[in-house]
Amino acid sequence: MMYVPQAFISMYLPAIYAGLIVGFIATMAIAIKREELHILILTDLVGLAMIFVVSAVGTDLAEALILPGLVVELAETLAISEILITREMRKIEQDPRANLKTSSSMFPQAFSLDMEIMTTAPNFIALVLIGYGIFLTGFTGGAVAGGGIVLYALSKKARGLPVLILDGVAGVSGIAWCLWIIGFLLFFVTPQYWLLALFLAACGLLLKVASKVGLIGLLMREDIDKE
Amino acid sequence: MDIVTLGGNLLGTIPLGDIVLYLTPFNLFLFAVLLGFTALIAFSKPETQIEAAKFNTLGVAEVKVDEKEFKQRRFLSVICGIASAGAMITGDLFNFTLFMALVGILNIGIVSAVKQTSVLNSAFNYGLIAMMCSLPLFGGAAIILAATGTLSLSVLSQMSASPMVVFGAILMLIGILGESGVAPFFASKAEMFRTPGSPFIVIIHLSSLFIIVRAVEILLLVLW
Repeated sequence: MMYVPQAFISMYLPAIYAGLIVGFIATMAIAIKREELHILILTDLVGLAMIFVVSAVGTDLAEALILPGLVVELAETLAISEILITREMRKIEQDPRANLKTSSSMFPQAFSLDMEIMTTAPNFIALVLIGYGIFLTGFTGGAVAGGGIVLYALSKKARGLPVLILDGVAGVSGIAWCLWIIGFLLFFVTPQYWLLALFLAACGLLLKVASKVGLIGLLMREDIDKE
Repeated sequence: MDIVTLGGNLLGTIPLGDIVLYLTPFNLFLFAVLLGFTALIAFSKPETQIEAAKFNTLGVAEVKVDEKEFKQRRFLSVICGIASAGAMITGDLFNFTLFMALVGILNIGIVSAVKQTSVLNSAFNYGLIAMMCSLPLFGGAAIILAATGTLSLSVLSQMSASPMVVFGAILMLIGILGESGVAPFFASKAEMFRTPGSPFIVIIHLSSLFIIVRAVEILLLVLW
């Protein structure tokens, strides 16, 4: 208590109030909404409020509590969405015609945009993002570069990605893992080469995160385009 | 309240750094019963049900569990039994909440592959309640941690309860009620049993029963 600044201690109560209020608003929203998918998404908001309250404690012990809390939250969301999917599948199995309802579009009119910027801009933005990510290195850089790859993957409409690319991305991920491990080892074995070790680890992490995020994007597009 | 008053003689402690497990006859009994039941369901076969609605017709009225689903369900119920046994013996407040949340997820998992849509419906509702109740459950534990600076039950039982601890304990109680699906929230969970595969379905009921017993002990330890 002695070493914690007063400013941080006084943040505790407002943080708890904020968490409880967010939880209250989310439960109100759940009570109002009647569609199951929306309820599921809103329930996740209550989980976020839980993270608020736990992280308000602000010690390293609280940090150890946040991770399992997050994992539990994620697992519950996955389990419930799996239940929802299974139930819809059973319903369709029992009554196949229920699936043939016309789906509604978000837009009031038929939506088609034919502009050159829609095809050229994403490439450029993706390139800038990847370049900036490499410049940043480390975890942040990986996330930025991965965002660039996702943007590129989403903007390209081509279907059926060749297996070679997926394998290649996975291979890069493996090499990045090795770089990271080697960098980590160098830290302990030869501490005088710390700069080399740091760069190895940073580049490994960059490639790792970028390829992971990129893979998510690629798989997501595969899923979306499957009609 | 003291550990000895609630659980009987203190048989010993297992200090694992910050987490100190304490062994009393009460805890050991609950732990042993749950492990025994888990062993029982690990070697048992699922039952087959006859649907009463189809009784006077010529259609097949049997509701069976196929091999793959049976294996998955048995695996999940064994894990569920181990998790609730862990909740019985743990000496750490947050570990208890984590075991509890794990039991909640596994309960959903056990019925996740059944064919009856009504059961899936109730599992979905129960899952939503369980997720919403993770806010008071974890939040309450975190507030108790913030108010006392410890999560160890043997230390908490020595402390007198401040208003913040009482608030945290009340939140935890709400969380426990929702997560185990008792009292105000049982409506959705009761429907989850209406599916074949009896010994595995029973663990859903048994785990929440035992966890409530243990939760009462923990709340008394924290509050008095």
